Amino acid sequence: MMKFVGIVGTIAEKSYNRKLLEYIVKHYTEIAEIEMLDIKDVPMFNASKDQTNSEVIQNLNNKILAADGVILVTPEHNHTTTAAMKSVLEWLSFNVHPFENKPVLIVGASYFSQGSSRAQLSLRQILDSPGVNALVMPGNEFLLGNVKEAFDDNGELKDERTAGFLGSVLEKFAKWVEVLKALNTKEKEETSWEDEDLTAAGAVDTTVRGVDPDADDWVELAAQKTKAAQKKEYVKLNSGLLTVDQLNWFLNSMPMELTYADDNNQFIYYNHTKPGKEMLAPREPEQTGSPISKVHPDRARDGVKKTIHALRTGETDLVKMPVPGNQINERYLMHYYKAMHDEEGNYRGVNEWVLDMWPIVKAYLEQTGQKLVKDENAQDVIASASKHEEAKVEENIETKVNTSEEPRLDEGIDSVTGASE
Amino acid sequence: MNKYIGIAGTNSPSSTNKKLVEYIQRHFANEAEIEIISIAELPVFYKVPGRVLPERVSVISKKIAESDGVIISTPEYDHSAPAVLMNALEWLSYGSHPFVGKPVMVVGASYGTLGASRAQAHVRQILDSPELQARIMPSSEFLVDHSLGIFDENGNLNNDEKITRLNELFKDFETFVEISKNLNNTIKANKELAENYTWEDDEEGK
Repeated sequence: MMKFVGIVGTIAEKSYNRKLLEYIVKHYTEIAEIEMLDIKDVPMFNASKDQTNSEVIQNLNNKILAADGVILVTPEHNHTTTAAMKSVLEWLSFNVHPFENKPVLIVGASYFSQGSSRAQLSLRQILDSPGVNALVMPGNEFLLGNVKEAFDDNGELKDERTAGFLGSVLEKFAKWVEVLKALNTKEKEETSWEDEDLTAAGAVDTTVRGVDPDADDWVELAAQKTKAAQKKEYVKLNSGLLTVDQLNWFLNSMPMELTYADDNNQFIYYNHTKPGKEMLAPREPEQTGSPISKVHPDRARDGVKKTIHALRTGETDLVKMPVPGNQINERYLMHYYKAMHDEEGNYRGVNEWVLDMWPIVKAYLEQTGQKLVKDENAQDVIASASKHEEAKVEENIETKVNTSEEPRLDEGIDSVTGASE
Repeated sequence: MNKYIGIAGTNSPSSTNKKLVEYIQRHFANEAEIEIISIAELPVFYKVPGRVLPERVSVISKKIAESDGVIISTPEYDHSAPAVLMNALEWLSYGSHPFVGKPVMVVGASYGTLGASRAQAHVRQILDSPELQARIMPSSEFLVDHSLGIFDENGNLNNDEKITRLNELFKDFETFVEISKNLNNTIKANKELAENYTWEDDEEGK
């Protein structure tokens, strides 16, 4: 399913342009899931007072980076787009650039017959500038004039032809977004999953150099080397402040086993609460710091490579796998591999979490007074992977793009043994 | 001596457009009284119910209304006027209309080679809208390029060609201000048009 975000260029509580976006969000759920982003708290842009790191700008930045496309809805003030909209675009073209190569659809509404025509043109020009560098949908101008009469009391467009035209514009935009993906997939075609270096021989900007990754006390050595914050020292996070102790308490109380493998394929963290043999996916403190290749059996290597490559290239954002040996209605271990990204959208590693789904499902059934019934028509279900050693896991990849190059993760099932070797 | 208002379209203390307006103020001190007003601290525009304007807006609006003309120096952000300038012009075209019929000279400075050319065109387009209806001096582009190196340590322009051009333009502007006083047949109608012009959201904002 395609994901769009929508921004209305006003901070007014009531707005016909917001009504227009609400209409779009509600009516085109078949085409895309559209999230409305609020700009009410965005400060006026000031080049001498950088607030790029504020929560509101970071949130807009991350949401736009993660979206497949953006819908901008502009009112027209003084023959141009609004200062509220422009201020947002200035913040997002200053020290961060989420609109870079992002498909954008412009629509707008106005009181009279112009339907925000000039605001739309001026917005196009702004989006075209090198700092913004968006890809604005050509043609397909949607101008909603005489907007006071356009909606009925339920927020529905009264005129069927207008509604039909808007639908066709949205449809074309979604297709166009699909076409544009070719622009951004160049790198993907050039790399192959086989190039994924599980030995972590390279380095990224966070790699701790000069410490043997295989050392049993890698954590201690690397901490000394980096003069890492410890215990009662505070760490500033994007929306909070915790001591290192608090961070540990917090992560150790998560209802799943968490593992961090960075973008260099180095295993650098897990929430260590008990000995490996008591864990769902065994890990030992001495393994931390090791390259991924050292903590997986050789037979799992290709599957792991494919998984990481799919996450790194953005082929998929999340890979889910059940574990071999799951017992139906007793224990159902799932491994999740989620791609992590920085503020610029660059791949920064895998967040792997392991949990037993069954207690959650069981509690849900008990609380809602329901029971499970077998679906006789279900096909290729990985009910229990012990019965289906060769089970196809492809379907478990939530691909955003339907490409024929989708990595086959048949062998990936082995990788669920995690850092167990 | 005519009284003008100088506006730098910025909220950045280090802006070269601020320097340019300050230079114009000093350079023409014998020809005109130019008061520089800051638009930096205005809130983000929205339609205030009942068109009750922030006090700062009313103050600026009154000063402009009482002036003989306005000189605007605009930076260029993203091929257009900065939001902070657009914002000021939105406030000054809602609930009060000091720009209707007001002679305006547009100048601009940029770090690069273009001298805010597109932002200047954008400001002209905005000032020409029915809510503002300023009298913009035609054919009078003044582009200050490479603005980081064009002021000396006293904040004066160090480029003779630019100074000559600015002197000529300012003389023309003084004439244009006089001519504009005779362009008064439409002022009344234009004022009414501006006041009655309802933007999107207006009704619900009330």
